[in-house]
Amino acid sequence: MSERRLQKLIGERDVLDVMVKAFTQSPTADDKLSAGLAEVEIEHHNEIIRCAEEGKPFIFSYFACAPEIYAAMDLPWYSFLSLPFTGALLPTLKDDIDASKRLFGNDLCTILRVSGYYIEEDLVPVPTAMIGLLHPCDGTTVLHQLIASNENWCNVPIFACDPPYWEDERSMNYYAGELKRMVSFLEEHTGRKLDMGRFREVIEESNKQYELWIEYNDLRRAVPCPHGYGLGLQASGVAQSNLVGDPRGTAWFRDLVADAEKLVREKRGKVPNERIRLFWFDVVSLDLSFDLFPWLEEEWGAVVVMDMFGYAPYTMIDTSSEESMFQGLAKRALCDMPMIRQARGVADNFLSDIVRVVKDYKIDCVVWPGHMGHKDGSANIGMMRETCRELGVPFLHIGMDLFDKSYTTIDEIKDKFSQFFTAMGLG
Amino acid sequence: MSIFDAYVTKLAEYAEGMRGRGRQVREIDCPAAVSKLVEGLPVRVGPQASSGIILRGDTFVELGNPEAGSCAFILWTNSPSLIRDGKVTLIGPDIQESPGASLPFGQVLMVGGAGLSEAEHEVLDHSQYISDQIEGYMIRSTSQLMWSRVSKDAAEKGFCFETLGRALMAVFKSEVPKIEAVEIVFVTSGKEDLQPLDSIAAQVRKIAKDIVTENWKARGIDLLECTFGWDCSSCPDQPVCDEIKDLITVRKKQASKIEKAKS
Repeated sequence: MSERRLQKLIGERDVLDVMVKAFTQSPTADDKLSAGLAEVEIEHHNEIIRCAEEGKPFIFSYFACAPEIYAAMDLPWYSFLSLPFTGALLPTLKDDIDASKRLFGNDLCTILRVSGYYIEEDLVPVPTAMIGLLHPCDGTTVLHQLIASNENWCNVPIFACDPPYWEDERSMNYYAGELKRMVSFLEEHTGRKLDMGRFREVIEESNKQYELWIEYNDLRRAVPCPHGYGLGLQASGVAQSNLVGDPRGTAWFRDLVADAEKLVREKRGKVPNERIRLFWFDVVSLDLSFDLFPWLEEEWGAVVVMDMFGYAPYTMIDTSSEESMFQGLAKRALCDMPMIRQARGVADNFLSDIVRVVKDYKIDCVVWPGHMGHKDGSANIGMMRETCRELGVPFLHIGMDLFDKSYTTIDEIKDKFSQFFTAMGLG
Repeated sequence: MSIFDAYVTKLAEYAEGMRGRGRQVREIDCPAAVSKLVEGLPVRVGPQASSGIILRGDTFVELGNPEAGSCAFILWTNSPSLIRDGKVTLIGPDIQESPGASLPFGQVLMVGGAGLSEAEHEVLDHSQYISDQIEGYMIRSTSQLMWSRVSKDAAEKGFCFETLGRALMAVFKSEVPKIEAVEIVFVTSGKEDLQPLDSIAAQVRKIAKDIVTENWKARGIDLLECTFGWDCSSCPDQPVCDEIKDLITVRKKQASKIEKAKS
């Protein structure tokens, strides 16, 4: 395994190591929560590096492909999209984004484009097998085409579950069948087996995580909101990424809920002078978390009370039988996963989220960032605006790139927010 | 006549059926006017009546946890005579009888108003999620479920299903002035008793989906279908559609071969 292929992983791991030290020295509870996650991420990076170096099986996947199955098979896995996402930690991300534009043009979602760039430039380890994702957007399928034509990756076995469009019984049955085929594929190509007892254990633990997640989300309804931006996405990551079905993930959720409950009882919020409650209806990218969101809190008292990734329906998976577990996972993967469920399905998935979140979280304004890679969602702008008008809540469409600041600069975005808040009489 | 009328009748049959199975069925008659509905209630009702949050430790009873069972939907009709205004039917234990319990929860709201039509459907549907309008009562913020909590404070004041029913009636009549009659069925007797409601709910949701689609079409937006008026010859996506049809044919043949091999 060439060092070049492990460069990104090692670089990121080393930065995370520094962050853990900083977080653990911080007095704030949410920094301590972040420290725990960063430590798990380091462990995870080390595992992938070890597997790559020692020729042990590991897979690449996306985050919405029922990772409960990988956890139950004790199969190390890595998400395609993690590196460009967490790449905001490294100083090289801007150069990587620019380089990816020269390879692919700039109308493909940045995070997918940079992932593709890393593959083309041989900067990521080649996995034993890959689980692809055929929804929610065309961008993900373009990545598969790239892989098929890449000399290092073209022989990597790949499987992707075929997603139905609807959510009826027939669709769930179909997708449950697809997940079973995925298991057969993984067993064939990695040598790992899915043991039903272990599967049940992972799902039961995962159910606990989801139950705590909804508890936490209810706490974010408090005025003032106990926590700020970012934790919603972290919760989503814990429930569906490295700590899926892991008791450490459940412990993390318990700590999160305990801290939020304490703040709610004390009527204390992240932002002492909370004036605007935002619904950020897209990904809370790491890069924006260093700049835009802190500015919103400090300058405007504007808190991201809920975001797209923080808001997920709750499906308690019935573990009484193998069939019920696959059915439950099918529903969770198709109908519950943030971003996937909105963009895969009908437009009403976006709109019904807006209605519930605005009501439940006492939202003052809805923000559709209009990420350049989310053209599918952007087709709904008119309907989202109409829905917000009926709810009597202002709607802001920005038009930006969640990862590339050269698309719309941070100053432009801040200016849009300032004008919007002023015009709407907010803050 | 409206599209849900048959289901209103089915609900009445359902309640009788539960009585026939020996379930405890109570009927409570509530006043009609909004002012009378909220008069004498042990908790506040109206915008910002509640802080919105009931912590786990402050919960007297939980309703509709997915493990216990949950089913909720709304039916409306433009024949208010089909609805017995002010009637609350409770099948199963009341809140006061269940301290610390996690009860299965069925909630069926039936509203009637001569002026009601498909145009009001979405407002009615959304109104079920009453946010902070009932002190001591919180509906948890997860879509697809009616999962709620009653606080210890509210229970101490005497909060029960009559309270909840009257509060919901007041909220609905205030928010949608066209409503003339509201009837509610609550079910807490058992998960198995929710199954007939689940069947009705599935049909109601299908109809509701069609109503939402038609409402958007009326505004000029087609939520679901292609927008070229079914004229494939002028549709730029026709090659994609054709390819999908070929794939479907291939998959059906494969599935058929597998079925034959199995038999």
